[in-house]
Amino acid sequence: MRQASRGAGLVVLGLAVAVAAGCASDKRMMKSGSGDIVADRQRMMKLHGQVWSDIQAKAKANNIEGIEVSAETLAINAQYIPLMFPEGTLTDKSKAKPEVWQKFPEFEAAAKKMETEAVKLRDASKAKNAQLTQDIVKDFGRNACGTCHTPFRVPPPRT
Amino acid sequence: MTEASELGLGVDMSFRPSASTRRPRLSRGTILLGVLGLLAAFPAPDLAVAQPAALSKELIARGKYVFGVAAGCGCHTEPKKVATELNAGGRKYDGPFGTVYATNITPDPETGIGKWTDDQIITAIRAGRRPNGDRLIPVHPYPTFNGMAEEDLRAVVAYLRSVPPVRRANTPKKISVPMFESVFLPAWLAAFAPRETPPATAPASGLARGEYLVRAVGHCGECHTPRGMTQALDNSRFLAGNPKGKGPEGSEVPNITPDTDTGIGKWTEEQITTYLATGNLPNGDVAGGLMGEVIQGSSAGYKDMTKADLVAIARYLKSIPAIKNKIGD
Repeated sequence: MRQASRGAGLVVLGLAVAVAAGCASDKRMMKSGSGDIVADRQRMMKLHGQVWSDIQAKAKANNIEGIEVSAETLAINAQYIPLMFPEGTLTDKSKAKPEVWQKFPEFEAAAKKMETEAVKLRDASKAKNAQLTQDIVKDFGRNACGTCHTPFRVPPPRT
Repeated sequence: MTEASELGLGVDMSFRPSASTRRPRLSRGTILLGVLGLLAAFPAPDLAVAQPAALSKELIARGKYVFGVAAGCGCHTEPKKVATELNAGGRKYDGPFGTVYATNITPDPETGIGKWTDDQIITAIRAGRRPNGDRLIPVHPYPTFNGMAEEDLRAVVAYLRSVPPVRRANTPKKISVPMFESVFLPAWLAAFAPRETPPATAPASGLARGEYLVRAVGHCGECHTPRGMTQALDNSRFLAGNPKGKGPEGSEVPNITPDTDTGIGKWTEEQITTYLATGNLPNGDVAGGLMGEVIQGSSAGYKDMTKADLVAIARYLKSIPAIKNKIGD
């Protein structure tokens, strides 16, 4: 009997430690970033744009192998996009439309599509398949970025 | 014959930006009275029945291309239903007059345009008249599409007939302004809506080709040209953009004149063609919103244009008057 209660106590203690560790871990996660989630996601999207420009320049120069690392950057960043749009962060400072939160599963699917297309591009580049790489680059803007920009973002000024 | 000339307005609407901005120098009241008189005196456009053109593969292919330059007539297809309900209509558009819904332009004989003749379809596209003589609400930009060449319209009709019919009844419009369709719309169309003049044949190359694609088929001015108090396009500021709240669906639409500070004067020809073909902007951004939609199109869009046509558009955009008009932040 005493052994059983001691065992149960250990389980409870173990769970408490695990929960505490989890919370601590969550707090560490929460501390990542500047604390301004809107500014952070705008920085990330700016980075996306720069990486995408870089890919286009490499494609134009026929630097197929050079595209791999840039495509991988886009693929990894795409995984974080839904996390950067938590509920309650709709603001005039951002071009994100209310539809992001109204249709969040679709928004997540658009981010996943971005990741998938970026992985395809990375793999084509890694395989040194110049034709496939160029074909993916040609449609990437519309197929990857555009699927999110069209329904979920107010277009920014164009000058 | 264009509807403007049928109505005897005598307005010079030759195919140049400066010419199409001219309007009669009469008071609005005088114009309104004159127009009402003319409407009573003149019949609806000729809706004579004609046999459908033979649908050759070449004609359909050409029609699909022109359809793409017209942004895939995207208003008539619900987003994400391109594969299953192409051209079946249903999209909602709110205006100061009420709410309209895009119509079914598939070849379905009961709910679409399957029973319309080629000429009836062309009359609807460019003159905004149904076979029964009813006017279309100019959310469908027929004053602009009036500038399309007959041969291109015949090709578009062939393509429209080639897509699968979809049985989807049109949603009735809800007009909230009394006498809007019987009095105000015809008066507004006659008095204020500049109407493009169609060329005898579609220009094949050069600036004339670019002008034709921008002004008529691509109907760029419908979103990018500011509207005056009457809601008519102000072609004295052709393609100078619309601020937030003034563009279609309240959107902000950029100035695409060659002004270097507020327009696209710093863009190279190649940057313009790349943007129209891919949606990719010079700054690494990618088009979204309505522009993203028209580049993508439905079964075809701006993205499907030939390099020669893209270059013709870019050169034309660089040739129009630069207008300083800052849009956005």
